[in-house]
Amino acid sequence: MGRVFRASYAPLVLVFFFLMARYIFPNKMTFIIELAIFSIYVMGNNILYGYLGMVSFGQPFYLGVGAYATAIYLAHLGANPLIGMLCSLTAGLVVGLILGPAFIRLRGDYFALINAATCAIGMFTIEKLLLPITRGDDGLWYRSRMSQIPFLDIRMPDNFFIFALVIFLIVLILYNYMDKSTLGVSFRAIKVNESKMKFLGYDTFKIRWIGFSLASILSALAGSLYAINFGFVNPSLAEPHRAAEVLVATLIGGAGTVFGPFFGTLAFLGIKDLVSRYIAHWELAVGILTLLVLFRFSKGIWGNTEALINEKFGKKWFI
Amino acid sequence: MNIDLLLPAIFFGLSVSGILFLVSLGISIGFGLMRIINMEQMVYYTFGAYMAYTMVSTTGSFLLGIIAGILVAAFLGFLVETQLLRRVYGKELMFTMVVTFSVFLIGIGIIQYTWGLDPKPVSSPIHTMVPILGVQMPLYRLFIIAIAFVVYVLIQIMLNKTIIGKAIRAGIENPDQVQGLGINIRRIFTQTFVVASGLAGLGGCLNAPLTMTGPYMGFDMLLFAFITVILGGLGSIKGTLVSALIMGQVISVGGTIWSPLAFVAPFIVMFCVILWRPTGLFGVTGKAFGFQE
Repeated sequence: MGRVFRASYAPLVLVFFFLMARYIFPNKMTFIIELAIFSIYVMGNNILYGYLGMVSFGQPFYLGVGAYATAIYLAHLGANPLIGMLCSLTAGLVVGLILGPAFIRLRGDYFALINAATCAIGMFTIEKLLLPITRGDDGLWYRSRMSQIPFLDIRMPDNFFIFALVIFLIVLILYNYMDKSTLGVSFRAIKVNESKMKFLGYDTFKIRWIGFSLASILSALAGSLYAINFGFVNPSLAEPHRAAEVLVATLIGGAGTVFGPFFGTLAFLGIKDLVSRYIAHWELAVGILTLLVLFRFSKGIWGNTEALINEKFGKKWFI
Repeated sequence: MNIDLLLPAIFFGLSVSGILFLVSLGISIGFGLMRIINMEQMVYYTFGAYMAYTMVSTTGSFLLGIIAGILVAAFLGFLVETQLLRRVYGKELMFTMVVTFSVFLIGIGIIQYTWGLDPKPVSSPIHTMVPILGVQMPLYRLFIIAIAFVVYVLIQIMLNKTIIGKAIRAGIENPDQVQGLGINIRRIFTQTFVVASGLAGLGGCLNAPLTMTGPYMGFDMLLFAFITVILGGLGSIKGTLVSALIMGQVISVGGTIWSPLAFVAPFIVMFCVILWRPTGLFGVTGKAFGFQE
């Protein structure tokens, strides 16, 4: 456990950056909150793509599961957002554990497409079959029903920013710890050569299953934060079309690195924000950037920066 | 369900099958011959549809739209293949998937930049209704079925009778040996790719009057095309035809029974197929195709 805290100065730097950004650009609050939430979502996808080497076109589904778990709890059952988040985490874990064994034994492209199919079927179920509970396209509204939680009234955007930041910090520290732990090393080893891992006596199926469930939990957590932040949820949050966003953010930031998801999200959301202000279409810029990253800078923004810093200031700067 | 609606639904399904066959052929051949997963096929499809829109709205001739659509799509395919995909051959499948996906994103961006975000309606070139077995059918849908059938026959003739077709079939079996025989496999890749993207463009032109032409029309079609290819078996042209016929009926008859099924039934089919029989109906098993897992 000591390693968790020794390893945590870099996440603290990021959180400091968040606080700086909050006070330098006070009118950019929505963007900064979305940055924190989307980073968690991208971290989930990074476990799949960056560590395990599995592309998934269905990540919005896991986001939607988390968002709807919180939303259904808050709209129908209770009023405490924290219990709503707990529901989301449980839902994410259950979905990951149930779907995992069926999906992870598939070859890469089938894995990607079956996730896309799951996303389409799952969102259809939520939108059409569970219409009395989820109210379909109209979405669920529960902002006024949310109650105060101890110490912090997260119904205010200012306070929700602090709440999201705390969650982001906890996730990032645990994520950093996972990266250095045996689990993280096994993930990367599976990506490089699975048969050798099997030969060494590791149960690769179980490791993939853990990775898949972790990814689904993180996506669900992000979905839950979105749900609490917006105060309402509708199916457009988890459309199958949006699967590209999280994948591209993972790639740009640096697949398989700890801080890559954050920088990828920063670049992706920044481009989306800037480009859509001038020419209204982000796909062109993001697509070209992705191709550039794939062919020239295969380690992404953070991977290359980290290599540069390590080269300049000596090895192992970011442990 | 009303039995009177079943017969029109089956005919509508056949025309959907025709479009699906034209569009998913490129993905199937791309996997069988070049071992890449080309998600950017749908760019050619979208461009085909937009060319049809442009030609119909400027000159009023749908035939001109079809020609322009095929030419533009084939040219784009040539450009992408020679400039980009050549660097991707031989890399792992996931890498090709992500690269072609970003090409797809760029294509969507270019379309948005050129034609804007609003969906463009294309009016049907033929409004005649034809009675078949007591059912009034739009002639245009029969026209699509006929074109898809002609394309299938032509492709079969090309694959079985001409030297280049035989080289393609041999390339699907084993590309290295084809190259060993002194056949320029790279040139065959390019030629196949251009034909496949031209066909995707044709599919786009033909589908333009049936659906709304919008920048994101490729996304829905991408998933449907992949379902078709997976159901038929990656790399098999006959499998693609049979699964396109099945998928057309699933979409059309399913949609007649309960309209939301038109969107979700294909995904349920894909879900079951991947979990129970990943090689599809006519899929090739063997080490060369990476199906040994």
